[in-house]
Amino acid sequence: MIKHLIGLGVLLAIGMTYPAIFPNNLTIAISVLLFAGWATSWDLLGGWNGQVSLGHASFVGLGAYFVAIGQSQFGLAPWWTMAMAAAVAAVLAYFWGWLTFSLRGPYFSLSTIAVAEILRLVAINEEWLTGGATGVFIATLPEPFGVDLFSRTAQFYMALAFAGVVIATVIVVSRARFGYQLRAVREDEDSAMAAGIDPTATKLKAFMLSAALTSIGGGIYGIVLAFIEPHVIFALLLSVQIALTAIIGGRGTIWGPAVGALVLIGAGEIFRTTFAEANMLIYGILILVVVLFVPRGIVGELARRHIRRLYAKRA
Amino acid sequence: MAGLDIFLQNIANGVLMGGVYALIGIGLTLVFGVMRTINFAHGDFVVLGMYSAVLFNALLGWDPYLSLVLAMPIGFFAGVIVERFILSRVIDAPPESALLATLGISLIIGNAILLTFGGEPRSVQVSYASSTFSIAGVNVSMVLLLAGIATVIMIAALYALLNRTEVGRAIRGTAENRLGAELVGIDTRRIHSIVFGLGVMLAVMAGVTLIPLLFATPTNTGAVFTLKAFVVTVLGGLGNVGAAIAGGILLGVVEVLGASYFMSEYREAYGLIAFLLILLFRPEGLFGRTVKRV
Repeated sequence: MIKHLIGLGVLLAIGMTYPAIFPNNLTIAISVLLFAGWATSWDLLGGWNGQVSLGHASFVGLGAYFVAIGQSQFGLAPWWTMAMAAAVAAVLAYFWGWLTFSLRGPYFSLSTIAVAEILRLVAINEEWLTGGATGVFIATLPEPFGVDLFSRTAQFYMALAFAGVVIATVIVVSRARFGYQLRAVREDEDSAMAAGIDPTATKLKAFMLSAALTSIGGGIYGIVLAFIEPHVIFALLLSVQIALTAIIGGRGTIWGPAVGALVLIGAGEIFRTTFAEANMLIYGILILVVVLFVPRGIVGELARRHIRRLYAKRA
Repeated sequence: MAGLDIFLQNIANGVLMGGVYALIGIGLTLVFGVMRTINFAHGDFVVLGMYSAVLFNALLGWDPYLSLVLAMPIGFFAGVIVERFILSRVIDAPPESALLATLGISLIIGNAILLTFGGEPRSVQVSYASSTFSIAGVNVSMVLLLAGIATVIMIAALYALLNRTEVGRAIRGTAENRLGAELVGIDTRRIHSIVFGLGVMLAVMAGVTLIPLLFATPTNTGAVFTLKAFVVTVLGGLGNVGAAIAGGILLGVVEVLGASYFMSEYREAYGLIAFLLILLFRPEGLFGRTVKRV
């Protein structure tokens, strides 16, 4: 755990220098960091706990809307609204999980799509709350210590901090009692129950933590976009993208989702001119490759080989 | 009286729309019933059917219903190929693997269509697209009626196939107990290929039938159809082909009545709420005795 935390610290320190070296490529770096954070949050539930959610865009949307509406209607600063969004996301996840965790495996995944679609319809239709299908615009933002939050550099550091906090959370959780409970429930709910673990309570905690973290990233995304449309931010495709990023990178590994974000957003950027809007093609092809040939994902497979090599050396 | 007229019209619209939903749903439920695979790409195969009708119309000037002659066999073989090369490899993996594999197929189909046809909506203009006739003061859309007839024919044909032929017996046997079916000499791998082929064929057929009515767009419509198909099959009972009709009609009526008597902007949500309720309280479906029947 200490090794991973030191590694994270080194990566964050290197990341801090990025805006100075590549001042013109900040937008893509922000995407990578946000997706790394979302996919890692998703992985708390989807990887460590084995509950594949296809509705995480709801929490992204929740965070973005809290920041946008808080700012434009009530003049609340983003850090307050992000904290509120995290709390509300956790409460929402509690009820959502309470409703759907009696379903197992693919049925749970299906139910998350249904709930997320209902929330999307609410965001589109309840104009008094969300501004309806036209969306919300963030016109002004406060300037804490004279920092302009509209500048890409400031947004980069926010996204970096977000990804760092989420990965640090997962590192700590992975070695905590809670982390072992998550894995026990993933492997076999009945055996976990026999060992004195309450599977539903464990799943609920994982979902709430995952949702709260995702919504904070959503708040930052709201600031980055500055204009929020429900069709974009609550889209099923965003949920799918978050889940696939984590799965392709390596489910239930600390670094997998972040590596997935780097690979997928990077690939999307490289093929952007070839595929134009059809950039989800890469996700489709890679998820097939992962399911058929490397079921552990990129990092999971590398870790497995590494461990085998260690054993081979010892023998 | 006016209220009753409107009510009857709503019921008629709901039932007709439900016929289309049922047609989309049976392929999904057949595949689930036999292979235990939730096919995420089902809606994208429906969209593929829509585009095949667009293509045949543009190249050969065919009426959508005529293009079924080519589109259905092509759909069947496409399904067989997908099953052979992708799904057969994950059939014994955890159930999520199959779900993720079909999700990948769905993304590939949707984006491949986007690359070939571009993002703008496509349709086929036919003379009867908006023609209606009325029975006892209730207006009936020609296209929806044709789709309804197609559903009935398809379900009758499927019923005959499952209950009157040797392949059908093998399919039912595989659905009931795969290991047992293998023990009595059924090649269940072949059966899986056939069933997935049939599932895709039904999806393509639904797409072709729908093209005079709806615009085809590459990525969004696929997800919408997949979701509708899920709702239909879960309402009827996953894996229960006959009940898919009832599920489809129920969805159609719930949506239309919900939209006209409560809030029309939540039309899509009523089906989803019904779906969640059924999934939570009666996962075997409204009409299913067990989950395993085909």
